Amino acid sequence: MKEPILKVNNLHYSYGTGNPALKGVSINIYQGEKIAVIGSNGSGKSTFFLNANGVLTADHGEISYQGTVINKKNLKELRKNIGIVFQDADNQIIASTVMAEVGFGPMNLKLPREEVIRRVDEALTYMNILDFKDRPPHYLSGGEKKRVTIADIIAMKSEVIIFDEPTAALDPLNAQMLEEVLVKLGAEGKTMLISTHDVDFAYRWAERAIVFNQGKIIADGTPLEIFQNREVLKQANLKRPAMLDVYEMLVEKKMVKNTNDYPTSPAELKILLEK
Amino acid sequence: MENSVGKSINFIKTSEKAQHQATYHHKIGHKHGEGSAIDYYAYASKIRHWNPGFKVAFSFTTLLLCIGLNNPFVSIAVILGMAFLTVVKGGLPLSAYLSVLLIPLTFILLGTIAIGVDFSRQPLGQFNLYLGLGYIFTSVDKLQEMAVLMLKVFGAISAMIMMTLSTPSAEIIGVLRKAHVPKLVIELMNLIYRYIFILLDVFNNMRNSADSRQGYCDFKTSCTTFGSVASNLLVVSLKKSNAYYTAMEARGYDGDLVFLEEEKPFQISHLFIAAGFLFFLLLLWYVTK
Ligand SMILES: Nc1ncnc2c1ncn2[C@@H]1O[C@H](COP(=O)(O)OP(=O)(O)OP(=O)(O)O)[C@@H](O)[C@H]1O
Ligand SMILES: [Mg+2]
Repeated sequence: MKEPILKVNNLHYSYGTGNPALKGVSINIYQGEKIAVIGSNGSGKSTFFLNANGVLTADHGEISYQGTVINKKNLKELRKNIGIVFQDADNQIIASTVMAEVGFGPMNLKLPREEVIRRVDEALTYMNILDFKDRPPHYLSGGEKKRVTIADIIAMKSEVIIFDEPTAALDPLNAQMLEEVLVKLGAEGKTMLISTHDVDFAYRWAERAIVFNQGKIIADGTPLEIFQNREVLKQANLKRPAMLDVYEMLVEKKMVKNTNDYPTSPAELKILLEK
Repeated sequence: MENSVGKSINFIKTSEKAQHQATYHHKIGHKHGEGSAIDYYAYASKIRHWNPGFKVAFSFTTLLLCIGLNNPFVSIAVILGMAFLTVVKGGLPLSAYLSVLLIPLTFILLGTIAIGVDFSRQPLGQFNLYLGLGYIFTSVDKLQEMAVLMLKVFGAISAMIMMTLSTPSAEIIGVLRKAHVPKLVIELMNLIYRYIFILLDVFNNMRNSADSRQGYCDFKTSCTTFGSVASNLLVVSLKKSNAYYTAMEARGYDGDLVFLEEEKPFQISHLFIAAGFLFFLLLLWYVTK
């Protein structure tokens, strides 16, 4: 069996206020996986991400990156290899031009100037925002800021990219553009974790889904397995994806054959119906 | 803000965009406080691509000459020269330029009037006006002195305004960094600059939401609302600074705040023109002194 790229073992974390936010989280993440992290508000997703990136230090438990256990000394290695796109873009953007902002991570990696510039241009082109380069971020809209924050992480060339609710601030067109970017990043073999409340998106995009509930992982499997498990859905207050309901209804009414070939998008359903 | 959708799909040509931005900035500018309008103008300026170090140095030298030479003709030349740079070269609409100048102008007028006129019990001076309790009086000399002073201050201010209207704050900070201003000061300036806009945003949102719930319906309520918004703002800014620090750490921040700055090539021709202008000022002073 392959060595996991990120291995989290029995992680506990509580904020200063005392209430534990994570109560024993263990998970193995493998290279190139596309993972949806779902769970209700306050279930500990963001806290888990910050721990995985090494910004928060767990009270208890350990994290290994590519076989090396993370301690204070190699923390930097972890931050370099695991990038987070934060939930609130305004909390992430710190520079006063888009170019300086996207260059912030690479500058911290102590790369030569030419390399930083090359990476900034590349990341901005990737996110289709090259013409915002000299703009101050405070004159961008919410969705545009979101794209800048994604470019931030792309410029760092992290192996693992964590997106904390990336679709929340985006209009449908930009959400779709984001999905295209995700597909592109996936094709480059990046490992991605995305927290989302959009079950349809999770069902469509992810290869694996993790469900958080009150600081614990209560389910881990393919999205299909998870969304068919009514027990888990009830516990975590999740809805079922529309496509899953539609498919099961069609099967029940004998309008399509039950091939266990579950469609995840309207386009796939169309193909199935035309068969 | 602008239509992000249209832009994400096809790039608008830069020239068209600049024009679009200029008009758009102008429209929005007046809705914000004047402070952020200046920030907009600097960003939209057509001479923004000039080397910032050059602009800062040039405007400071002009300022020093204008004050040091103390000559009305030099002052007028500076005022015209700076207006030319900002409006013609920088492409700032004249009305916007005037509206920015209007603020210091009021102060200059109020300040210099105090020098030009005086009070007395007796009718003194060449011109006086009886006001019941005493006389306000002035003389041609005094008025002249006042005009010279006004021109001088006005010239000095337009040199500074030329700089601020053509150089975004981040670049000015970059110039200060190169001038070896202490690192701590530079880092603070960078963060504060970014922070001002975040807090303004948060403040506006809180105020609007309070307003929409009748929080400003009468004077008493307004006072309480203002109090809660202000104290909330403090809590929010503390929380935000925490979140900020977290996000910086996540991207490998380790105590050194360094930003990527664009190198703007220094144009030798600018140096010659600037030197020519400064020399002209000196010559003007020499001829008219
Ligand atoms: N900075 C903080 N200080 C104290 N407690 C916090 C802080 N951030 C989060 N918590 C608490 O930790 C718990 C987990 O929060 P977390 O932000 O990880 O949830 P989440 O799953 O990301 O939720 P959401 O979907 O709303 O983003 C919550 O009970 C929350 O109240
Ligand atoms: Mg969260």
